[in-house]
Amino acid sequence: MREFFERISKIDRRIIYLLVFIGVTIPLLTRKGFEFKPLQEVETAYNFIESLPEGSNVLVSIDYDAASMPELQPLLEVMLRHLFRRNLKVIMLGHWPLGLPLGQIALEKIAKEMGRKYGEDYVFLGYRPGIAAVILNIGKEIRGVFDVDYRGIYLDSLPIMRNVHNYSDIALLIGFEAGSVGDFWVQFAQARFNQKIILTSTAVVTPDLYPYYQAKQIVGLIGGLRGAADYEILVKKKGFAYAGMTAQTIIHIIIVALILIGNIGYLAMRRVR
Amino acid sequence: MKKEVPLAITFISGFLLIVALFIPHEPFGSLQERFNDWYIIVSGFTLILGVDSLILYHWRKIKRKEKEAPYSIILISTFVIVLAWGIYSGVKYGNPFAPASSFLRYFYTYMFVPLQATMFSLLAFFIASAAYRAFRARGLNATLLLISAGIVMLGRVPKGEEAAPYFIGITLILLAIVSVLEGVSRVEVYEKIIFFGLAVVSIIAIFPAAWFLKFNLPRLADWVMNVPQLGAKRGLFIGIWLGAIAMAIRIILGIERTYLK
Repeated sequence: MREFFERISKIDRRIIYLLVFIGVTIPLLTRKGFEFKPLQEVETAYNFIESLPEGSNVLVSIDYDAASMPELQPLLEVMLRHLFRRNLKVIMLGHWPLGLPLGQIALEKIAKEMGRKYGEDYVFLGYRPGIAAVILNIGKEIRGVFDVDYRGIYLDSLPIMRNVHNYSDIALLIGFEAGSVGDFWVQFAQARFNQKIILTSTAVVTPDLYPYYQAKQIVGLIGGLRGAADYEILVKKKGFAYAGMTAQTIIHIIIVALILIGNIGYLAMRRVR
Repeated sequence: MKKEVPLAITFISGFLLIVALFIPHEPFGSLQERFNDWYIIVSGFTLILGVDSLILYHWRKIKRKEKEAPYSIILISTFVIVLAWGIYSGVKYGNPFAPASSFLRYFYTYMFVPLQATMFSLLAFFIASAAYRAFRARGLNATLLLISAGIVMLGRVPKGEEAAPYFIGITLILLAIVSVLEGVSRVEVYEKIIFFGLAVVSIIAIFPAAWFLKFNLPRLADWVMNVPQLGAKRGLFIGIWLGAIAMAIRIILGIERTYLK
């Protein structure tokens, strides 16, 4: 009996890795999903976008890179699809230079799929260094930091940008966050210029953003793969995030079961000692 | 002079920015905007400094023929190829990623993205293994952390509320068994009463606890996230920012000088 408890308190990590591997791959391959109700903070974000008048400008900030791609890229695509379906104008920029191409790729893909035109329905501004300074300067005049788009075309020659000067011309800002840039958006764009913000983030970052949502400094919070899956349900287009939630559920159950088994072994061994 | 000039620049910049925030009129009003422009320019140069130190570090490794020199060769050659191709595409097409089938886009999509995503996805394996080893009921604090983690992990995924009753059931049955075994081994009568009592309570609690979790687990997880988690986070943030303000004042006044080294 002692041997058994000792063994379950020290399971070989290779067995754990194997369980995780099986728990992730099978649900992703079978693509079977569970039914669930979207979280309230995600529904609030969705409703806010639904309430925007057609033709409103939405600033999208890409503040993540490939490491957070599985969580944020499906959400970016589904949100862009929603924005275009609602006939909203998308202005994209970013503070993570290595992640910006992911935004550009998604924007080009969804715009093509929805038949939107560059310069009229969407624009890609690119990257400028200095997060706080960029955010503050947009509050005064966006041309102060981005006088041209990523291809070097002057903003005034793009129809979408002709009447966009600062936050008062932007109905909503959506930040895709894998780090602390979301804090900058809230502290500068919201606190100083009263910009309406929806933050979407990786699951690790989400707890840091809850204070802003509870204090109503942001109008919606979409956290992790669960948030992305919730959004896919709301826009009625289930995709990668929805399928990924089955894998996440199984992994969470495996981890909780392992923790339970580990504690049984640990407590039994402690009693023996 | 080597120290005095940077200290004076820091003091004047910091002091003027604080004044500009409280007096939004000329000549202070436009100061913040100007400082922001300078900040963007300086930030741009820090990228060059970063590239410079990275290349120098690896160049030295190659020169000294160190064991890791082959990796340094790969790094420098990749850097040169990507930079050269980016400049070429930028000049020719006005965009480093153009045309859509360009080498740079191919490199980014099929090499950089999978490499970075793979590195990060390894975390899932490490976290599972680390959670198994670290979440042990070693004391009251560890047990509280363990319970909160279980509630949030199951409460935030679909079907978690259906798995939770089984987990709580198994936990309570085990608690009852351990309590009985403890009670049998004790000599004092009051100790026996405590442990047998705990076993009885555990058995009685199985169905109510399972029922409660089945219907309330997501709400319980939300409560953990919105009340204790947020309370602790706010406390942490207030502490961090008070520390940051104190540090900023120390830097502006020249008391803290480690950044000069």
